[in-house]
Amino acid sequence: MSTLKYSYYPGCSLHASAGEYDLSTRELFKELDIALVEVPDWFCCGATPAHNVDELLSLSLCAKNLELAEQVEGDLAVACAACFSRLKFTQHTLGENETKRTQVEKALDAKVRLDGNVKHLLDILARDLGLDKLAGVVKTPLKGLKVACYYGCLLTRPPGVPNLDCVEAPTIMEDLLAAVGAETVSWTHRLECCGANFTLSRPGVVLQLTNAILESAKAAGADCIMVACPLCHGNLDIRQQEIEGVYKADYKLPVFYITQLVGMACGLTPERLGLEALIVDPKTLLKEKGLL
Amino acid sequence: MSRIGVFVCHCGENISRTVDVERVAAEVGTMPGVAFATDYKYMCSDPGQGLLKKAIQEQKLSHIVVAACSPRMHEKTFRKAAESAGLNPFLCEIANIREHCSWVHENREEATAKAVEIVGMMVERVKKNRVLPTITVPVTKRSLVIGGGIAGIQAALDIADAGHDVVLVEREPSIGGHMAQLSETFPTLDCSQCIMTPKMVDVVNHPKIKLYTYAEVEHVEGYIGNFQITIRKKARSVDEDKCTGCGLCMEKCPVRKIPNQFDCNLGLRPAIYVPFPQAVPNTPVIDREHCIKFKTGKCGLCQKICGPGAVDYEQEDTLIIEPVGAIVVATGFDLYSITEKPKGSSIKGYGEFGHGKIPDVIDGMTFERLASASGPTGGKILRPSDGQEPKQIVFIQCVGSRAREKGISYCSKICCMYTAKHTMLYKHKVHDGQAYVFFMDARVPGKSYDEFWRRAIEDEEAVYIRGMVSRLYQKGNKIVVMGSDISVGVQVEIEADMVVLATAVQPRTGADSLAQKLGISYDHYHFYSEAHAKLRPVECATAGIYLAGTCQGPKDIPDTVSQASAAAAKVMTLFAKDKLEREPIVAKVKEAGCVACFYCKKVCPYGAVEEKEIRDRQGNLIKVVAYVNPGVCGGCGTCQATCPSKSVELDGYTDEQIVAMIEAL
Repeated sequence: MSTLKYSYYPGCSLHASAGEYDLSTRELFKELDIALVEVPDWFCCGATPAHNVDELLSLSLCAKNLELAEQVEGDLAVACAACFSRLKFTQHTLGENETKRTQVEKALDAKVRLDGNVKHLLDILARDLGLDKLAGVVKTPLKGLKVACYYGCLLTRPPGVPNLDCVEAPTIMEDLLAAVGAETVSWTHRLECCGANFTLSRPGVVLQLTNAILESAKAAGADCIMVACPLCHGNLDIRQQEIEGVYKADYKLPVFYITQLVGMACGLTPERLGLEALIVDPKTLLKEKGLL
Repeated sequence: MSRIGVFVCHCGENISRTVDVERVAAEVGTMPGVAFATDYKYMCSDPGQGLLKKAIQEQKLSHIVVAACSPRMHEKTFRKAAESAGLNPFLCEIANIREHCSWVHENREEATAKAVEIVGMMVERVKKNRVLPTITVPVTKRSLVIGGGIAGIQAALDIADAGHDVVLVEREPSIGGHMAQLSETFPTLDCSQCIMTPKMVDVVNHPKIKLYTYAEVEHVEGYIGNFQITIRKKARSVDEDKCTGCGLCMEKCPVRKIPNQFDCNLGLRPAIYVPFPQAVPNTPVIDREHCIKFKTGKCGLCQKICGPGAVDYEQEDTLIIEPVGAIVVATGFDLYSITEKPKGSSIKGYGEFGHGKIPDVIDGMTFERLASASGPTGGKILRPSDGQEPKQIVFIQCVGSRAREKGISYCSKICCMYTAKHTMLYKHKVHDGQAYVFFMDARVPGKSYDEFWRRAIEDEEAVYIRGMVSRLYQKGNKIVVMGSDISVGVQVEIEADMVVLATAVQPRTGADSLAQKLGISYDHYHFYSEAHAKLRPVECATAGIYLAGTCQGPKDIPDTVSQASAAAAKVMTLFAKDKLEREPIVAKVKEAGCVACFYCKKVCPYGAVEEKEIRDRQGNLIKVVAYVNPGVCGGCGTCQATCPSKSVELDGYTDEQIVAMIEAL
């Protein structure tokens, strides 16, 4: 019986476009016997729009969510890279800046606590549970699957804020996949920006950026891409066919969430992992590798 | 009865901004024993000192307290002034109301009250000061110079030319240091070897210079004028007296594929080698780690073919003791390595630049070796990966330097100029090539420097892009450089054939352990600290030790040579007198109370405590007591704090004086 317990902040995306990330997270954690209790009455972290428009609003939204998370025992588990970034930023900024902290406390009419741990799922799987333990529960090693681990721009940056791994040369995703038997490729664009929410306002920019990422992954010999962020997923997966059309390319690179690949290795069925929700169909690839 | 004079300094506004100096003078003036108290804007200036001298004579003052800055700053100044007015200099004390008061407080009322207390303490202490006679010690007029780069060479030659013996110790098998590795030098583009190697020859031929190469300072004892240096001469496996430097051994050595560090690992060398053909001394050394003879016991070819029989596999490290009076530290720098940094290191590496794993991403020194006529490519600029000539080359400045988030905040000072030089050397050798430089600022102050930098842009057509590079990656046989041009606010992507990183100047690895041997201080980067940033830039706080070159901080060749000559001048000043006057702040043993436990001997960091026998007239031993050699004592007071019977006291800091200070509070 595992003693690991977390409060869980899914974030808006996981209740909408990234439902399969939420599903696979819950199912994987169930399988690994890690308790996840959703933060009661949580709301949006503000994401990019809030801090672009009003810093105080952004900080207050996250501070309120941190306060709500205190009701549930355990560190706060976050799946989305953007939610993770905003929550960490809030802890960092309020910890450093007395004036802003006072403003936020006035807005919330409550003292802000900054000592709670905010952890990305990667951190929980690779460090709290541990790679050795994870390797021990693998039922179907992802042998022969060549994965391009895509961190995106938010997961490790800026220096001194998320402190998840080395800022410019992280290895946590590669380490995680090595533990479940997959092969990872060395590629150049794992930390580049995908264009994020510009996908709505400036799709041309996003197509250019995501194309470079897909091109680099393909050139490195990857079969698929693994992400830890719903927005990166949207840009690389949903837009992939469009990118192929615009840039006359042929990628066909399925884009998985970390929990989907790790879940697959732990023997979870495609239904429990929400694989059917992926736009670039992974079935052919998985059959080819004997994983389906 | 004491007639104490108190002189309160404003230090411009440094003190008077926070401390009401007039009130301090007025309040102190009423203290018992104080006959005269006044204040002045700059007490250390000529009129300020004049005020003090005049008061000593007119008011017949017996003791002086100057309330001013730290005694480290002006204690000497005021003691000298007191002496010239006929007072024993050790009857003058400093009350530090600047560093200890005005600089660290904001509240004027409280700071003033504290200043009065500080001065009051010194008034009570000075009452108990004794007249101390100056101690004189002999000076050994020989100097040690540590490091045989351009700094050490310049200092050694200057001191030797003045007629004093010099012991020059170099860690590597040859002198020359980094400068010997350079191709051409800014701002005149004269060949580094052409100006460096004659100086190296001058060193080895100088009758006053004793050169130890492949040697390190093992241990340092003593004090200014009287140091004892233990030098470890590492086993070279070649007898320097017998070797003629014919080079046959190097030709015949069967091990040939060892990367040559002198060529930044681009070229190869044998196991018996000189680092470069112009090495001084021109005596090879055996690299025991790679030599077949040392690894397996077989081979021995070099010994067989050596005509004079100089190869000696049995040679061992030897320890040599050299007495010297002064030390010049000129140990130079290491270049920031672009390879991966160990986990937990305060210096973060450049994962975004590939951690040195992209073969055609090199550092500035490697570029120097490529551009050098004596380098592994004979001066042709060729890519390490495939030997092709790069047609697009990107230089990135400030790699490691001025990058707080990477662990180093300082500017390395030389990179702007050497990068400009690199673009020129490149253009001179690859006429159809294009050089790009990513830079934050151009920091090119110096004689003819700005002109040189402008020339790189205007005449040699280097494209300077103001902005930083976020990432480098290999794409086919190109390196993609992703950067920004902040002057026009666009992202820039260049497909380069080669990238040169201007990496930071860092202190030598192990600079801290040498500093501990020498008893000198260093900053948190491990650059050695000068005694005063402006007024004593080549002296260490430890008397008799001087600094030259980049071990003190990043600097270019002109600055290094200037500092080396300045350090040499300081050594000559020291050697100008036969005897050295020392401060008499030394410990004295009260023999009657001494119980000969010799705790003082154990704790003394200077080795100043000796055992002394006391005998009666018939020669019978009465007791053994501790004796402090005043020539060696550093005046730290550790013995005084340790002595269980309170039988040893530091003159000027006796228990009686300290208690008087406490009671004054």
